[in-house]
Amino acid sequence: MSETTEETKRTGIESDQSVETTSGETDEQVREEWREYAFDGQTKFAVEDLDVYYGDDHALNGVSIEIPENSVTALIGPSGCGKSTFLRCLNRMNDRIRSAEVDGSVRIGGQEIYQEGVNLVELRKRVGMVFQSPNPFPKSIRENVSYGPEKHGDLQTGLLARLLDRSDEAEREQLVERCLRDAALWDEVEDRLDDNALGLSGGQQQRLCIARCLSVDPEVILMDEPASALDPIATSKIEDLIEELSEEYTVVIVTHNMQQAARISDQTAVFLTGGELVEYGDTDQVFENPNSERVEDYITGKFG
Amino acid sequence: MAGATRSDLVVGETTETNAVAIVAIALATVMFALSLAALFELLSISGRLAGVAVPTLLGLILSALGVTVIAFGVGSSLGYVETQPSPSAGFVAAAVFSGLWFTVGGLIASQTLGLGGLTWLPVAALVGGGAFAVTALSREDIGSTLPAGAFCLLTGLVFVTGTIGPTWVWELDFEQQASFTAEFVIPTATLFAALLAGWAAAKAYGGFGARGRHMGAYLLIYLNASSIVGVLFVLVGFTAVKGIPGLVDGARFPFSIPFVMNGVSLFNEFQGVLPAIVGTIWLVVGAVLFAVPLGVGAAIFLTEYAERGRLTQAVEVATNGLWSTPSIVFGLFGFAFLVPRFGGNKSLLSGMLTLGFMLLPLVLITSREAILAVPDEYRDASAALGVSKWQTIRSVVLPAALPGVVTGVILGVGRIAGETAPILLTMTGGTFVPGSQTVDVIGGFEFTGSPPFVANPELLEATTALPFQLYALITAGVGLGDNVSNPEQFQWATALVLLLVVLSFYAIGIGARYYFRRRLQS
Repeated sequence: MSETTEETKRTGIESDQSVETTSGETDEQVREEWREYAFDGQTKFAVEDLDVYYGDDHALNGVSIEIPENSVTALIGPSGCGKSTFLRCLNRMNDRIRSAEVDGSVRIGGQEIYQEGVNLVELRKRVGMVFQSPNPFPKSIRENVSYGPEKHGDLQTGLLARLLDRSDEAEREQLVERCLRDAALWDEVEDRLDDNALGLSGGQQQRLCIARCLSVDPEVILMDEPASALDPIATSKIEDLIEELSEEYTVVIVTHNMQQAARISDQTAVFLTGGELVEYGDTDQVFENPNSERVEDYITGKFG
Repeated sequence: MAGATRSDLVVGETTETNAVAIVAIALATVMFALSLAALFELLSISGRLAGVAVPTLLGLILSALGVTVIAFGVGSSLGYVETQPSPSAGFVAAAVFSGLWFTVGGLIASQTLGLGGLTWLPVAALVGGGAFAVTALSREDIGSTLPAGAFCLLTGLVFVTGTIGPTWVWELDFEQQASFTAEFVIPTATLFAALLAGWAAAKAYGGFGARGRHMGAYLLIYLNASSIVGVLFVLVGFTAVKGIPGLVDGARFPFSIPFVMNGVSLFNEFQGVLPAIVGTIWLVVGAVLFAVPLGVGAAIFLTEYAERGRLTQAVEVATNGLWSTPSIVFGLFGFAFLVPRFGGNKSLLSGMLTLGFMLLPLVLITSREAILAVPDEYRDASAALGVSKWQTIRSVVLPAALPGVVTGVILGVGRIAGETAPILLTMTGGTFVPGSQTVDVIGGFEFTGSPPFVANPELLEATTALPFQLYALITAGVGLGDNVSNPEQFQWATALVLLLVVLSFYAIGIGARYYFRRRLQS
């Protein structure tokens, strides 16, 4: 466990060399190179030899990657290449799919999450998730935001609490306001917190989902194509929001939109068909000067 | 595409021909309503309407309708009317018409012409084949109007000439006595003729082609839907008209309606059915209280917890089987299993449980569907916040599924509230129950000195319920004696009250569903 954490503390000397590498190498050689990729800052996730099977389908094939703290990491690749599967491994949402089998190691802050006795409640509080299509609960905007903390017992708002004079009504209001402000939604919904969340527009619903995710005070936010169902204006709002969030949170985002990945991410990981992680590095380097020919083909639109 | 006419993009304003088509459609609709009225005997076949004998009147209108429809088809095919017909009316129409004309040809050959043996068969086949050929092979304007209009005209002429009059009977030579009477044949034939002519006229109104087919289908669907609503209204209206005199007998408004406030006793000026009403209400309440928690709980287990496999399949088959089990079988089960265990006599509690067993499968099936219909995104979102499964079910899944669950309960209550057979065997005592014996479940609870420390004798007593009372009064003829002065009025009033009780359960259910839906949406 300590091996990998120490590895990551090296700073990026070799990454400069890999930029100069010309394309045309085999995937194996490229992989060797980006394994040397190092970044400034602490490692949040250290993933090693991660394999995922859905029945006979080999969805992820030996993925190893380290994701730095307080940055935006984009996962790109063609449909069905395992990006979403990989994302869902990071907070063990794949447990919810019965046929899924996960093999390998994922460490968050040095702690293995694929072992006996992992507290899933705590893991998912730390690693929040925003889904592809906005999925607010059919409840009021306020209830949507305070749902998580209430269910975790951090907020007492029920009838009993009110009768016993232990109600956290004020804390709840503060929490709702803070999360909605952080999600850049407060100004739009300030006056109608009691309205049903399903009455919001798609972009507002997605920001509400981000606010809901922030309410349990996560360290990491996983986003699975959060803007794919939104119009360009709503998308740009979400993108701005992601950049702001990356100051405080570690953001891992799956996207189909390569311009989006280039705009908002610090690191980019490219998955290609077969569930392989083919290239990983600084976003500028991956987009401007990819090491692998397959990645170059994909990025320039010749494939995928 | 030679010969195919192009539709105009803009269809011109209403012309005289269009107006005639609308009149024809309206006539057909009126005929449809008249034939239904005659079928339900609201209109007497042997009576007179506007000074003309009913069959003659029907025949005249049908003939006129038939001629109009044929005129439309011929006019269109000769180019007098501007239409956009397809090359053929299509296979389905041809099959329907050939079947119809096969029957007509066979009947004419065997009955009117009196051809014996099987000689009617070639005639029928010839006529049916001819109708098929005319419909399928000629252009749509002729193909869809000529067979329909001719049938309409023929039916009309048969009525006008008195070939089938009010006293006409066709004895079938079976060993059993079976016969078609004019009361059945005239309305049925009118119904068919009106439907066909209306359909053809609607097609003509739309100028045939795609738009015409749309119009024809629209008319059929519209008539179908309105006749369903019509039947419901006739049913409720009939019961209300018959039942209201008994219901308001001796009523002094605002607050004295003896029929629903009294039982039956010698000293009452006006007799009533209060014990049966209260019995029915408690019965339904008890069954719902028993079945809903069990059914919803099982549905949650099956959808959220159980692995899909042998067990869930077995439960599915069992619930479907249970739902289609005849109610008398439930009654027998209650009689043989529950009654001996609750003191040996029929009791309210056995009735409640028996009806609860009947309600259980429907609640289970509909709750399951409702829970399955809750989007998985809600569950994912909740899980991604680290909320446990049970809390997710309680605070997200169940609220979202509630309207569906309530719908299931409404349907189930509609079935069990009117059940007679099971309560006949498990619950009911006398038919005419005095008001003093009205079951009092709430007041019946009492504390006892020995475990279980609470007892409720009222639950263990036989009582009565509206459907049972109705059954006993009408079918079995029980108790038609001195107590009730006007038995028929009493029966219909009981039926009306039963209808009202069931409808109020519906109203409560629909209100609850509306409330839960609103909570989800605003």
